[in-house]
Amino acid sequence: MQPFTTHTAIAAPIDIAKIDTGVILPGRFLRLRRRPGADYADAFLHDLRFDENDTMRTDFVLNLAAYRGAGILVTGTDFGCGSSREGAAYAVLDFGVRALIGPSFGDVFTGNCLQNGIVPALLPLPVVQDLWRQLKEQPGARITVDLASQTVVAPDGTRHEFAIDPTRRERLLQGLDDVGVTLGHLADIEAFEQAYRTRMPWLAAKI
Amino acid sequence: MMDAARAAQPQTILDRIWAQHVIVPRPGGEELMFVDLNLLHEGGTFFAFDQLRAEGRKVRKPQLTLAVTDHYLPSLNRKAGVAAIPNPAIRNVVEWLAENTREFGIEHIGPDDPRQGIIHVIAPELGLTQPGLLIACCDSHTATQGALGALAMPIGQSNQLRHVLATQTLWQKKPRQMRITIDGTPGAHVTAKDIVLAIIARIGIGGAAGHAVEYCGSTIRAMSVEARLTICNMSIEAGARIGMIAPDDTTYEYLNGRPHAPQGADWSRALEYWRTLPSDDDARFDRELALDAAALAPMVSWGTSPEDSAPITERVPDPAAIADTERRRRVERALEYMQLAPGTPLASIAVNRVFIGSCTNARIEDLRTAAQVVKGRHAAIPALVVPGSTAVKRQAEAEGLDRVFLAAGFEWRDASCSMCGGSNGDTVARGERSASTTNRNFEGRQGPGAMTHIMSPAMAAAAAITGRLTDVRELVR
Repeated sequence: MQPFTTHTAIAAPIDIAKIDTGVILPGRFLRLRRRPGADYADAFLHDLRFDENDTMRTDFVLNLAAYRGAGILVTGTDFGCGSSREGAAYAVLDFGVRALIGPSFGDVFTGNCLQNGIVPALLPLPVVQDLWRQLKEQPGARITVDLASQTVVAPDGTRHEFAIDPTRRERLLQGLDDVGVTLGHLADIEAFEQAYRTRMPWLAAKI
Repeated sequence: MMDAARAAQPQTILDRIWAQHVIVPRPGGEELMFVDLNLLHEGGTFFAFDQLRAEGRKVRKPQLTLAVTDHYLPSLNRKAGVAAIPNPAIRNVVEWLAENTREFGIEHIGPDDPRQGIIHVIAPELGLTQPGLLIACCDSHTATQGALGALAMPIGQSNQLRHVLATQTLWQKKPRQMRITIDGTPGAHVTAKDIVLAIIARIGIGGAAGHAVEYCGSTIRAMSVEARLTICNMSIEAGARIGMIAPDDTTYEYLNGRPHAPQGADWSRALEYWRTLPSDDDARFDRELALDAAALAPMVSWGTSPEDSAPITERVPDPAAIADTERRRRVERALEYMQLAPGTPLASIAVNRVFIGSCTNARIEDLRTAAQVVKGRHAAIPALVVPGSTAVKRQAEAEGLDRVFLAAGFEWRDASCSMCGGSNGDTVARGERSASTTNRNFEGRQGPGAMTHIMSPAMAAAAAITGRLTDVRELVR
């Protein structure tokens, strides 16, 4: 996973509450493989970005020229609620977004974001509403998400400290997903297996 | 060491197996656990492999993982091969498992393999499921395998599976523990399925959430391993991710001589260890439930959750009589979906089709009890029998059960998960009502708009004969 230190990017306001993981990555995309060059970028928020004929909805914020290439989204309440599909986090990442700023996020989705190097930054709703206002008044404005100092820098320069679990923050800064963390215990794992083979000799040959 | 520990504090079987697998202890938190056996199927697992590939990671111990194709495999026309699967989305999923297991060096029991079958049916059958093992499987019905005294845990199909593949370990927090004690001799045609449905009806679908369940008592002791597998299978329908039954002579007799069971001196050493596993008599559980099996009747579900189950002798409940508002609304919604009027006798509900299969009830004993009901009778409605494994199918054919079903107008198909969740295209049509030996009667579980009643194989067979939910005790009297 890509370490996350600080990220400055065009930010787009997604001021819709309760966008669930089924909207972030509609179910029909779940049988699609995610491979380099054929990832979930197109599937991300597909039905908000495109109509039933697959024609671009020109009025949707992510389709407006000024927000093209947005790397940060300022989202509404409970972004990522609903089913546990990890593909929703893949879709966020594949679309080019490394940080989400919102008043609340789905539980499982939060975990999946952290596993995939995406920062879900929690800020109070009034602050989020003010960010939406600024981003709408200056389309294409940039926001900085600085993980080391746990700060969001708004387009107008105001700084807002955001909350994130300290262990998770450390892992993101180092680019360690849970596999990376576990492999940090490799010596313990190997020692365990050595002892286990002795304790359970009938299993030893395979382990 | 073990004797000292035992003297110090009484332990449960879960305590013992847990302690044997902890690599990085963090009492009260998530602990790093060693996984003895990782089982996977084609459903959704391509996410894990794609992610490993994208990260350039390898499978750390491929010899401890086994893959089998079960969910998306057609139950018909199997000889035509995978290329003949008409739906490309389904065919892709089947092909991806073969590709992924080949690339990552994992043994794969594919569609043509004589060992093929539903993962929770074949793992015990092959002797892979053994007492004391920590088994991970990316399937919600993994607790099935706890019936042999294994600690079998369901994991997610993407990130958690990826973690097990890459490390052969899992981070897990030790659950609270619940003991369900079942005593008494069940009446005629009251089976393991009826007992577990009665438990779920009593405690609800969240009744054992956050707990590992150990099933104990004289009724369990008298059960075959196959019946125990049915009990543990439905633990998750009461909210428990883990369900276990302590091993005993029944377990050891079942395992002895199976292809992956320890042999010779290894068998003796394993057996000696397995005998130390059962919970101490004075072990403490966080919760207790007791059930009298002698008081139970054959069960059927009437709603859209396994907890919506009742004895076949009862009626569809009246929501107006339910005091709890939330529960009343849920029952109203369930009856609306199931198109049932309050007060309707359960034994009068007409059904359109019958499915006998799934990891819950498609082992040889299940097919034998269904065949006993069917023998000499004829199905009034379409009925499908899908054996839980290719080995079960062979055994049933050797016993002539296939001919009993075919003579009665049932279809006899190849092993797969089939109409339980319909991933392979075997679905119940919208507006149709099915009597099914499966584990879930959720809205749309067997197909969009399908109405499912879950029950035992004997009860499903009886429904096939009469075309309505039927008390099997009256049919075969």
